[in-house]
Amino acid sequence: MATTESIQKAYIDFVLTEGAQPKSVYIFAKKNKMAEEEFYKFFGSFDAVEQSVWTDLTRKTMAEIRAQEVWLQYSSREKALSFFYSFFELLKSSRSFAVYSIKKQRGLGTPKVLEPTKDIFEEFADGILSEGIETQELTDRKFFSKRYKDALWIQFGFVLNFWINDDSAGFEKTDEAIEKGINVTFDLFQRSPIDNLFEYGKFLAKNGGIKEKMGF
Amino acid sequence: MSDNTPKEQNSIPTSKVERSAKFVKTGFKIGGNYIKHYSKKLFNPEMDKSELNEDNATDIYQSLSELKGSALKVAQMLSMDKNLLPQAYVDKFTQSQYNAPPLSGPLIVQTFKKYFGKEPGQIYDKFNIRSTNAASIGQVHQAELKGEKLAIKIQYPGVGDSISSDLKLIKPFAFRMLGMSEKELNIYMMEVEERLLEETDYELEVRRSIEFSEACANLDNVVFPKYYPKLSSKRIITMDWLEGKHLREFLATNPSQELRDQIGQALWDFYNFQQHELRAVHADPHPGNFMITPDGKLGVIDFGCIKVMPEDFYYPFFALTSTNLFESKEDTIKAFRKLEMILPNDTPTQIEFYYTMFKQMIGLFAKPYITSEFDFGEKAFFHELFGFGEKISKMPEFKQARGVKHFIYVNRTNFGLYNILHELKARVKTDTYKPHVEVLV
Repeated sequence: MATTESIQKAYIDFVLTEGAQPKSVYIFAKKNKMAEEEFYKFFGSFDAVEQSVWTDLTRKTMAEIRAQEVWLQYSSREKALSFFYSFFELLKSSRSFAVYSIKKQRGLGTPKVLEPTKDIFEEFADGILSEGIETQELTDRKFFSKRYKDALWIQFGFVLNFWINDDSAGFEKTDEAIEKGINVTFDLFQRSPIDNLFEYGKFLAKNGGIKEKMGF
Repeated sequence: MSDNTPKEQNSIPTSKVERSAKFVKTGFKIGGNYIKHYSKKLFNPEMDKSELNEDNATDIYQSLSELKGSALKVAQMLSMDKNLLPQAYVDKFTQSQYNAPPLSGPLIVQTFKKYFGKEPGQIYDKFNIRSTNAASIGQVHQAELKGEKLAIKIQYPGVGDSISSDLKLIKPFAFRMLGMSEKELNIYMMEVEERLLEETDYELEVRRSIEFSEACANLDNVVFPKYYPKLSSKRIITMDWLEGKHLREFLATNPSQELRDQIGQALWDFYNFQQHELRAVHADPHPGNFMITPDGKLGVIDFGCIKVMPEDFYYPFFALTSTNLFESKEDTIKAFRKLEMILPNDTPTQIEFYYTMFKQMIGLFAKPYITSEFDFGEKAFFHELFGFGEKISKMPEFKQARGVKHFIYVNRTNFGLYNILHELKARVKTDTYKPHVEVLV
C-alpha cells in the first residue's frame, strides 16, 4: 500500500538518481510496483509531489519551533529568526533534493514548486507580524504593513539561494545571512527616522499656512 | 510577559542604530571626500586622486578601528611595538572590544542544536537566553546545572572569516599609516592573525584553560573557574560562574591598600610565573579578563590568547632586563642584534642611536625588576614611561617598526600588566618569580 511518504521518497530517489523527472506516471508507478491510479489517489502530478515535499518541511519546521519552550517568550523578530534557522537545519537532510528542485526552474518570481509553500509561509508570517504590530514591536503603517510579509518571503527566497551556493563548513555563512538579513528586515518594520520625517512633513503641510492666515 | 517583551525590544534597537550610524557616518565622510575631490578638480583638472585616497584611507581606518576588534588590535599592537605606548593608546586598549550586535535567541538555540543536537534548555537545568556580558568574540550567558551556577560563552558565527578578511582590508591602510615595507608588515600581521585565529578555537581554549589553571594552581590568591570539556565545543564553552567584581567596579569600592597590594601581587605572580616557569603567557591582560572575588582573590576567566615564548627570544630579552648585561656595550649590541632591534645593514651612527634609545627604553621597562619591591602607584615612573613613548613616537627613526615579531604580544602583555598594576596602585614584591637567565660576570 502506497502512502504520501512512500511516494515522496520514491520520487526523490528517482530524480536524484536519474537527474530528471520520470517520463510518465506510468513508468514511475511500474518501477515502484504500484497501479497508476494509486498514485493519483495521492497526487495529481509530479510537480504536486515536489510541492508537497516542500510544504511538509515547512509545516514540520513550524511544528518544531512552536514546541520549543522559549517560543512563547520570543518577540516577532525572534520567531521569524527561529523559523529560518530551523527550516534550513531541517533542509540540510534533503539538501540534494532541494538543490535539484530549485535549480531546475530558474527565472524570476516564485518557482512553481514553492507556490503552496508560499501560502503557508505567508499565513505564518502574517500571524507573527500582526502579533508584533499588536505589541507595538513593529510599526503599523498604512498600506505598507500589509506588505511586510512579502519582504519576509523575499528574504526566504534570498536565503534559500544563498544556502544553495553556500560552501562554508556547517553552512555557517547561511547562519550569518539569516541573522543579518532578518534583523535588517525587522529594523525596517520598526519605527524609524523615515516615519518621523513623514510625520514632520504632514505637520508642516497642515500647519505651514498659518503664517499667511495670521497676516505676517 | 507583556510587561517584559517590549522593554527588551526597546533596548536592542538603540544600540543597533548607534552601530549602523557609525557605518553611515563613514559613508557620508567618504561621500564628502569625493565631493571635495570633484569640486577641487573642477578648478584644477590636473589633480590626481592621491589626496582623495589619502582622505578615504584615514576615514576608513578610523571607523574600522572604532568598529572592529581585530583591526583595532592590530593598530594598537603595531604602535605599541614602536614605542612605549602613549596614554591615548592605553585608554583605547582597555576599551578594545569586538563591537558586534548581540546574537539573537534563535541563533543561540541553533548553535546548540548544531553542536550538541539539543536545545540549551535540554542541556542545562536553567539557561538565560539573554546574554549577561559580551566576551571578546562572543557573549556570555548564565546557566545552572545540578545547583552549580555556570557561565556559557558562545562565539559569534563567522568570526574566524571576518578576522582574516579584516586584516586583509586594513593591510593597505596600516601599511600607509605606519610606513612599513610590505614584507615587514606581513611578519607582524601573520603573528597577529595566528593569535587571533587561535582565539576563535574554543576547543583549544578549553584545553589551555585547564592546563594553565592546573599549572598555576599553587599560586597564592589566584583562582580559576572549572571548565567542562563535555559541555564545550568549537563555538561554546561551559565553565563555572565566577562571582566577583571587575577591576573598575572593585576600584570604585575604595579598597584598602592592603587589599590592592594583595590583588597586585597575585597578578604579578600569575604573569611572572607563566613567563619564567611556563614560558607561555596569557597574553591578553585586558581588565575585563579578570574578576576580583568577594574574598579578595584574583579570578582569571579568559585563556583565549596565549603567547608561547621561544628560547631564542626569551634569553636575549630577559638577559637585558635581569642581568648586568648593560655594563658591556658590546654584549648589549649583540643581544639587540639577536632581537632584530639593530639590523644587519644599519650604519655605525644608526647603531649608536638605536643602542642608546633601546637601552634607555629597556632600562625603564626593567625598573620594577631591579629592586625587590616596586610601587606601581608611583606616578613618576609611568610619566617617564609614557613621556619616553611619546617622544620616540615622534622620531622619524622609529617610524619603521623594529624588533622580532614576538615583541608584539610580549610587550602587550607586560605593558598591559604594568597598566593594571598602576590602576590598582599596588605595591608588589617583584622578586617572587625571577627570569631564569645566567648572570654574566
